This record gives sequence, C-alpha cells and structure tokens, in this order.
Amino acid sequence: MSELEPVIGIDLGTTNSVVATVRDGVPRVIPNRGGLLLTPSIVAVAKNGKRLVGALAKRQAITNAENTVFAAKRLIGRRWGSKEVEDARQFLPYQLVAGPEGNDVRVQLGGRTVSIPEISAVVLAELKADAEAWFGRPVRKAVVTVPAYFNDGQRQSTKDAGRIAGLEVLRIINEPTSAALAYGFGKQMEKKVVVFDLGGGTFDVSILDIGKSVYDVVGVGGDTYLGGEDFDRRIMDWLTFAFAKENGGVDLRQDKMALQRLKDASEKSKCDLSTAPSTAIHLPFLVSGGEGKGALHLDKQLTREKLEELTKDLVERCIAVTDKTLRDAGLRAAQVGEVILVGGMTRMPRVARAVRDYFGREPSRGVHPDEVVALGAAIQAHALVAPQPKGEEVLLLDVTPQNLGLMVVGGYFNTVIPRNTTVPTSQTHLFTTVQDNQTSVRIAVLQGESEKAIENELLGEFILDGIRPGRRGDVSIEVTFAISADGIVGVSARDVATGAEQSITVTATSGLTEDELKRILDEQRDELLERKQTTREFELRRDRAMALVREIDGLRPAVESALEKSRFGKDAIQKAETVIARVRQAIAARDAGAIEVEEEQLDRTLQLFRALAAGGPMPAGG
Amino acid sequence: MTDRYRGFTFDEAALREDVDIDVDRRREILFAEAQLQKWTLWELLGIPWNAPVEAAKAAYIEKVKVFHPDRYPAKRLGSYRARLERVFRRITEARDVLSDEGRRVPYVRQTAPPEQAAAMEARKLEDERRSEERRARLGRQNPLLQRVGRVKELVARGKHAFEEGKFLQAANDLQLALTMDPGNIEAATLVAEAKRKAAALKANDWFDKGQQFYVIGRMGEALSAFREALSSDSTHVRAAAYAARAALELGEVAEARSFAEQAVKAGPRVALAHESMGLVLEASGSKREAREALEKAIELDPRLESAKERLKKLRWSFLG
Repeated sequence: MSELEPVIGIDLGTTNSVVATVRDGVPRVIPNRGGLLLTPSIVAVAKNGKRLVGALAKRQAITNAENTVFAAKRLIGRRWGSKEVEDARQFLPYQLVAGPEGNDVRVQLGGRTVSIPEISAVVLAELKADAEAWFGRPVRKAVVTVPAYFNDGQRQSTKDAGRIAGLEVLRIINEPTSAALAYGFGKQMEKKVVVFDLGGGTFDVSILDIGKSVYDVVGVGGDTYLGGEDFDRRIMDWLTFAFAKENGGVDLRQDKMALQRLKDASEKSKCDLSTAPSTAIHLPFLVSGGEGKGALHLDKQLTREKLEELTKDLVERCIAVTDKTLRDAGLRAAQVGEVILVGGMTRMPRVARAVRDYFGREPSRGVHPDEVVALGAAIQAHALVAPQPKGEEVLLLDVTPQNLGLMVVGGYFNTVIPRNTTVPTSQTHLFTTVQDNQTSVRIAVLQGESEKAIENELLGEFILDGIRPGRRGDVSIEVTFAISADGIVGVSARDVATGAEQSITVTATSGLTEDELKRILDEQRDELLERKQTTREFELRRDRAMALVREIDGLRPAVESALEKSRFGKDAIQKAETVIARVRQAIAARDAGAIEVEEEQLDRTLQLFRALAAGGPMPAGG
Repeated sequence: MTDRYRGFTFDEAALREDVDIDVDRRREILFAEAQLQKWTLWELLGIPWNAPVEAAKAAYIEKVKVFHPDRYPAKRLGSYRARLERVFRRITEARDVLSDEGRRVPYVRQTAPPEQAAAMEARKLEDERRSEERRARLGRQNPLLQRVGRVKELVARGKHAFEEGKFLQAANDLQLALTMDPGNIEAATLVAEAKRKAAALKANDWFDKGQQFYVIGRMGEALSAFREALSSDSTHVRAAAYAARAALELGEVAEARSFAEQAVKAGPRVALAHESMGLVLEASGSKREAREALEKAIELDPRLESAKERLKKLRWSFLG
C-alpha cells in the first residue's frame, strides 16, 4: 500500500479548504500543521512583507484588510467587467484590477499585482505542505474539486492554480459528485441521490444514479453566486443600516477595518443561530465618533427569526434551482432515494427545513458537511492511481453543467454540446468558407443557457488561420469540440478535403495565457532554489539537533543510576523526554525555526546530564 | 469466446502495441471500435430490440466498466485511450437515446425487424381508426361533448352576426356561449367588442331621436332621448352636449351644467362640447369662464359661427 506514491483530494473552498487521502482503504481528512481539519482559504501579505496563509492570514485580516485576500474562488476564471466581478468589487476590502489583456481579474497584494490562480495556488501549496508533513514524504498528485456549475474558464484556472502549486491535477471533479462519492463509498447502494450543496460562495445541486460503485450523474444545476457569504452580507447590511440610524448616519462601509470586524461578527452570529435561538453582536470601539467624541460601539441582538426573515429569498432561490434541476432530469421529488446536505450553510435550520419540505423526507445526516467533499476527492484520486479491489472499482460518470455552443449569424447562440451530457464527450461541426480565398475563420465559443450569444459566457475566440485558398464554399473545415472528464473544453480542427490539422489560436480567455503561466512557473523555480537553501539550513539544524539527542541518549543510563542515589533532579529524565519529543516533532514538520528554538533546550539538558552522569554538583537552576 | 470475432481481422500492430492491457481486453476493445457504425444501439449495448429503458441503463453500466478510460488507473493506454473514448462516447449516446422517451420511440420504429415493423405499422393504423371512431361515438353520447358542439355553433353564429354588423345579436350569442364555456377565449374577447359596438349603435339611435325632438322644440322629449343615449354610451359627446342645451332651454341650469361637464370630459377636443359649456356658464352668470369656453370652442373649430356671435355679445357686455 505505502509503496504507492501518496495522492490527495483537495476541496478548495470559498471560505475554507480541506485536504484528504485514502489510507488502508479508508478515506480520511489530513489535519494541517496547526492540527485543524479546516484551513481558511485566505492569503495575506503582512506589514513586514511576510506571506501568510490560512489561519494565520485570517487572524490578521482585521488589521490588514487591504492586503488580505479571501473568497478568491468567487473571482477565479471570471472575466473583468462581468457582473459578478463588478458586484464583488463593491464589498471586497482588497483592490481588484484588470489583467494585462483586460480580460481577467487581478488583485493588488503587498504592492504586487497577482493573478487569482496564483492566490489559489498559495492555498493549494499550503495544503500540499500539510499533506507532506503528515505523510513525511513529497506529494505530487491531487484531485481538486470545483462547484458543478463552474464553467470552462473557472475549471481551467483552477487547474492552472494546481500547476503553479506544484501539483499534477489528476482530475477536476464536481463538489456534489465528490460528496456523493464519499457518501456512497463502500456501501454498494443502488438509488437516486440528490446532493444539495450550499457552501460559502456557491450553490450546487446534483442528481446521481448510484449503481453499486458506478456514480452516474443525471443532472446538475446551481448558482455560482449564491452562498453563505450572501447570508453574511444580509446580516452586515442589516447591522450597517441599524447602526447608521442609531448614530446619525455613520456609514460603516467607509471604514475597512470596521467592515472586516462586521463581516466576522456577522458570520459568527449566523453560525451561532444554527444552534441558539438568539445571539448578541457586540463590537466595542467600532468606529470613531468624530471630532471630540468617543468611539462608537455596536450592540445588537439578532434572533433566528430575524435572520430567517433577512434571508428568506436566498433560501427560496435554492429551492427554485433544485426544482428546476429535478424537472430537467425528468424526476419527481418522491423518486429520490436520499438527499445529502453538503456545505456549512446547510447547518442553518431554515435551509434544512426547506429541503425537507420540498422532498418530503428527512435529509441524510450521515456525512460531515465540511469534510465530505475532500473525502470524495481523495477517493477519486485513489481510484485514478491505484488498482481497486474487484467489484468495488469506483467510476464517476459526470456531466457538463452548461450548454456549449457557438455564436452564429445574428448574434444567436447555437448549442453544440447540450448540458447534462456525460463527459468525456465530443461533437464535430463543419465550417465552410463564405468568401473566395478566405484564409481564416473566427469562432466564438460560449457556454451558457441563453439564446442570445452575448448573454452567455465567452470561453474564448478561436481563429482558424492558414486555410488553403479556394473558391468560397469549396473549403470545409471540420471543428471538433471536446469536453474532457475535467469538464474542460478543447477545440481541434481539420481540413476535410486534405485531412490536414488546422492551426488554432485562442484569444480572449478569462484566465492566464500559456506564456504567463510559464513565467509564473519560472519564478517559482527561482523560489524553489531559495527553498532549497532553506532545506539545506533545515538539514544542518536537524543533524546538529540529532547529534545532541544521541549524546543525551548515550548519557541516559549513567544519569539514571546517578539519580537513584540522589534526592534531587528526579524529573530530569522526564524533562529531557519532553524536549526530545518536541525536537522530533519540529523535524517531522521540517520547521528549521522550531528546531532552532529547541536547540537551546537540548544544550541545557545535555549540560545537566553531563553534570549528573559525572556525579558532580547540580548546575544552578537545574 | 473466439467465435464472437469470427471473420474479423484484428489490427496486428494494435494487438502488439506496448500498453498495459491484456490481449483479451484488447480484442474486445478493437472489435467494439470496429463495429461502432455497423451496430444498432441495441447491439452495441448487447440487449434485444425494444428492451425496456431499465435494461438499457443496466447494460450501459456494465459496458462502461469495460470501456471507460478511468477503469485503467495508472496504466499505459497508448492508442487505446482514444479507442476507449470513442466506444465510450457511442455507448453513452446509445444509453441517452434509448432512455429518452422522445428519441427512443422513433428509434424503436426505425430499427424494428421487418416483421415487427409491419405489425407496428398495422397497429398504428388500427389505433388511428379506432380513436377516430371513439371520438365520433363519444360525440353522439356524451352531453358534455354535445355541449361543446353547441358552444362551437354559438360562437360561429356570433362571429357571423358580428361581421354583418348585427352587434346586438352577436353579443347575445357570444354571451350565451361564454356562459356555457367560461374558458372560451375566442368568445370572451369577441363578446366585449360586440357589446361595446352594440351599445354605441343603440346610443346613436337614441341621439338621432333626441335631435328630431330638439329641432322642433320639444325639449322634454329631446332631453329624455339624450339621456337614453348617454345611458348606453356615457362617452357620447354630442348627446351630452345637446342634453346640456335641452336642459338649459328647460331652465334646469344645474343639470345642464353636469351634462356640459360630461360632454367636455368625454370630448375635450370637441368644439360643440365647449360651446355647450359656454352657454351653460353664461346662463349661470360666469361671464369670464363662459368667454374662455367659447374661445376654446372657436379655437377648436373656427367655423363655429353661433359661438362667434355669442362671444361678440359677451365681449360687449363685458365692456359695458
């Protein structure tokens, strides 16, 4: 088992991320180096220029809001100028700018302009490092999850993030599918399952037909802009409004630090209300009251009832999307054999109740909503690299979430591959020249539901050039649109008459260009060199520390016999053991700094042992 | 086992390719790939013609276990990856077609074995004949259907009358049809139009009658005729305007005023209405307003001599 190289599954969430693996046939979550299962998907650059990830980044978010990037998942693969990005700009405390081509979104972080995949890559690299510390060996391959409703650009950018983080992304899989996989793993069930996944930033619903170990997705739906953060924002708006009313129109949104505290308090109160009927929101010294006046405090009581009233339409939207997805799949609520709740937001009693009322059955509580997605990803990763026990081979049959098509004359959208088509899949389309000696054809490829091309997401423009000259209508180019198991779109073209491959140039994508990706990877290589230096430093310190440990161990029998005769220092052995355990831990975590700290302790222990073994007087303070 | 492949020549190069797939599986994949276009979707999934949807789905799952590339984890697949994907795509298409009611039915018919096809065609014709017969029989027996027939008849008659300009008759027929079948949209839309037109016709009749009395000075009869006209069509401007004058002649200034107001309201751009208003105002002593009303009337219709006369008098009296 352990001869195989370790593989991991990563749930790269809007608010939190989780990494998991399959060990001895059992999927399990890998704790991070802080000992926690959830790592906040937050990246920051501290005032001293240090890069912070996860809990460390979250802890300083209040005092360093402008250089703390959260919810990057909402921006990944998005087009600059899109409605979603414009909305996000309104409430994100960090600054967004357009990419060099004007297509994608970048953030200003620590005085640098950083692409979103790079931000996500920092989180992925952190999880990779956590896994490496846990396995005690390098990890290179991973399955990463995305919301089922993510389009090609968002998937591609997520895959780029994996590459930047130094991971080979074996597969991008859909979060609800992943959840179903974890739910059904090893149970040999045969039924229709609905996964209701309301996470931090996105809402997904998927319907699967599980036949023993084959997971056949029969329908997906969702809203990439509906999640826990919208619920938080409702509370924030309510608090901001009430605060302005009570304090003569003071607008909290003008103060970034206050806004961040408000956001944290809103999220916390929402979580509290999942178990308590009412909660107090208390934020002392929130903003200054103006010249000559004291600071203003916020003190509010929020009841569950009020929260439900504030977010009523959000819950209704979830149910409407669920209903549409079920109808598209030709299913009635009563035909569903199980409903699985995924995502932290499903802890809200009103959400669970709405699901129960719609399906007329109690949703499954057998899976942990925060961990289940990562566990499923780990199962899939394992299935893609390791031979499976006979009869239990896991197989995912996922579908495309949106129609894939082309812009045709008149600005209409012509579907080439309809949504809910099982992937991998492909379709060919014939293009004929419309002018004499036409040398190029421009094809706009889009994804979406609208009949009007401009209302759909533009994946990119493909330019077929170098077409052989001929009379109009005489030259036909066969273009193949393929969607991989990752849900990523590929386009290839062929001259029908000659069979020659046709060159394709892709422009106007919403992600990183290949050149840019290369540049980033090159920069990383430089960083790797730096890291190698730190590796050398680590190895040096480790060897020194281990030498000390060996010497201490060597003195141990002499010290023990010396102590038997002495009334003093009975706990010396125990103290030494504690120090040595800490050293070993620091070595396992490959933390040179921590070893350095322990080195001093080791030195003192060794001196003590030497003194005791020699039977001499105890050193002062020993 | 080998009988399955009788008469089929395998691509030796593909059989010898350096990949991690055993020879039996290679044969299975190569054979399936070669049959993709030849086989019906039924044959592809290995199920009999017209097998139920559930059977198609179950067969698909079994086939997928062989032909999905993911079933060969960490194996070198070489050219077989593309072969597997081609077969996978086609069996997925087979499952999609055979489990979708809309696409399945034509496909069943299209792929029917000859004797089945003949039988199906015969059954289809028989079904059509029977349902025609059944409809006719039901029509004779069922009071509900009789009623449907009656509604149709009424709507047709109503439409005919409407076209001929017999709006009252049309309104009657259509209203009856609508009571029998409240959901009949055609009757509902037409009946409103017919009623409106019928009312307008009636109002015109009464107005003509009123005019006749008015010119011969029988103001009482004229006024009641105008009133009738207005009760059918309250927006009949001329009826209101003349009703105001008749009332004025009878010395009923208050009533005259309300008719004049009704006239102006129904026809703010009709000179006659403003002239009537001017007369009423003059009679009630509001000379300035009377003058304004008359000026308005002349502005709307410069040829209104009677109003000019009035205005001249009013100007004189104002000066005097």
